[in-house]
Amino acid sequence: MILTVTLNPTLDKFYWVDELPLSLDRPEEAILIRSERSLSSAGGKGINVSTFLACHGVDTVALGFLAGHTGQIILQDLLARGVTANFVWIPGENRTNVTVIAKGREYHPLLIHELGPPVPEEGMRIFLRKYERMLRQADCVVLGGSLAPGCSPDCYRELVARAHRAGVRTVVHAGGEPMVRAIPEGPYLVKPDVREELRLGDLPVETAEQIVQAGKWMVAQGVRASLISHRVTGDILVTPEGVWELEARVPLATFKNLVGADDALVGGILVGLLRGSDLVEAARYGMAAALASAEVEEKLCLNPAAIEAELARVVVRRRGEG
Amino acid sequence: MKARDLMRRDLTSVDLDTPLADVVYLLHQSGFSSLPVLDEEGRVVGIVSERDLIRAALPGYVEMLQSAAFLPSLDRIRRKLREIGGRPVSEFMVTDLVLARLDDNDLYLADLMIRKGLKQIPVVDEGRRLVGVVRRIDLLHRLSR
Repeated sequence: MILTVTLNPTLDKFYWVDELPLSLDRPEEAILIRSERSLSSAGGKGINVSTFLACHGVDTVALGFLAGHTGQIILQDLLARGVTANFVWIPGENRTNVTVIAKGREYHPLLIHELGPPVPEEGMRIFLRKYERMLRQADCVVLGGSLAPGCSPDCYRELVARAHRAGVRTVVHAGGEPMVRAIPEGPYLVKPDVREELRLGDLPVETAEQIVQAGKWMVAQGVRASLISHRVTGDILVTPEGVWELEARVPLATFKNLVGADDALVGGILVGLLRGSDLVEAARYGMAAALASAEVEEKLCLNPAAIEAELARVVVRRRGEG
Repeated sequence: MKARDLMRRDLTSVDLDTPLADVVYLLHQSGFSSLPVLDEEGRVVGIVSERDLIRAALPGYVEMLQSAAFLPSLDRIRRKLREIGGRPVSEFMVTDLVLARLDDNDLYLADLMIRKGLKQIPVVDEGRRLVGVVRRIDLLHRLSR
């Protein structure tokens, strides 16, 4: 069973519009943007990974915090998608993250992310008890997304340590300080979220060379593998055995919705590993899943045949070899 | 149709030491009419329902709740709920459990619900660990399609 942890779940709301105003600097009038279509779904990185896994027939349980009316919607959506839910209810209201996608600029959406409800101390105590209990049944834990207000920046480090004590493999799919602090615990895979800042702690991750250096630093700290995005259609995998560049030969214009693609990437890697692939081949399947997700309007492509079809477009090259 | 196909994969539950006030909050949030109580190993060892809470708040009068005419005011229930709100659910839960297995069929589950007057039955694995809940409405919904 794969356990996913989403400490700050969200209701993802997508709006498609013909165009976005070039400037919002019109103080004398309101700006009305009409949307012809919208979609909403349960979200947060761990939840997205669970949704992807459930559709591939993988036994998965989603853990985290739910709150208020939005929490009810998130729960119903998850259950309808075949994910087993084991959440702690806290006061307040889960966040709603809005994505506005303009025609012709699908790869460059406008994102509005709320903060989320604060997690009370008692809520965290209940969560940790559930977490410890579920670890006894888990083969792997995915820690995904931002921390909710009130969570310690050492939260992921602590959760990784607890999982390792229980003999469970960990994946850290998050960004910022909490992800960096978890690295010394030696997670199996780290997939840093560098959307807000192209840095990993003190290390910049803008160029391919910088990404390789950051990956090697993580591996030296005990991480089994690091996977960092390089531009929209590329990723660099660093393991103790070497460095691989994964590239998708796809024009940006084919993308319809990039939100969730990196969660499909992580989900795809896990599916690949469960099928017995090695890490590089599993990463290739993950990249195909990410591509397939980016090419549909829904946040995640849940069609295995469409993912298989993308495999041919993913090129994997060992760095330093041709 | 088996319990595994019918059940809600929602593992909302409480621990033996969960205070009663938290149980009320969780029942309200989750929409369940009862919650499984788990031990440290995650095994279902009890059930706490709305009825158990009412029984705890007004001992001896629970049957009279069938008619609101017997209740002079709700203040007594309010006061009692505040008094017992910090006590652990283990003091109030029912331990004579009706549990379903993943392979139990819909006819068996419906029969159990009707005979025992249950709105929902926890589903457990071989280790008695909670894996889901079959609600009466899930069965009705399935039958009406």
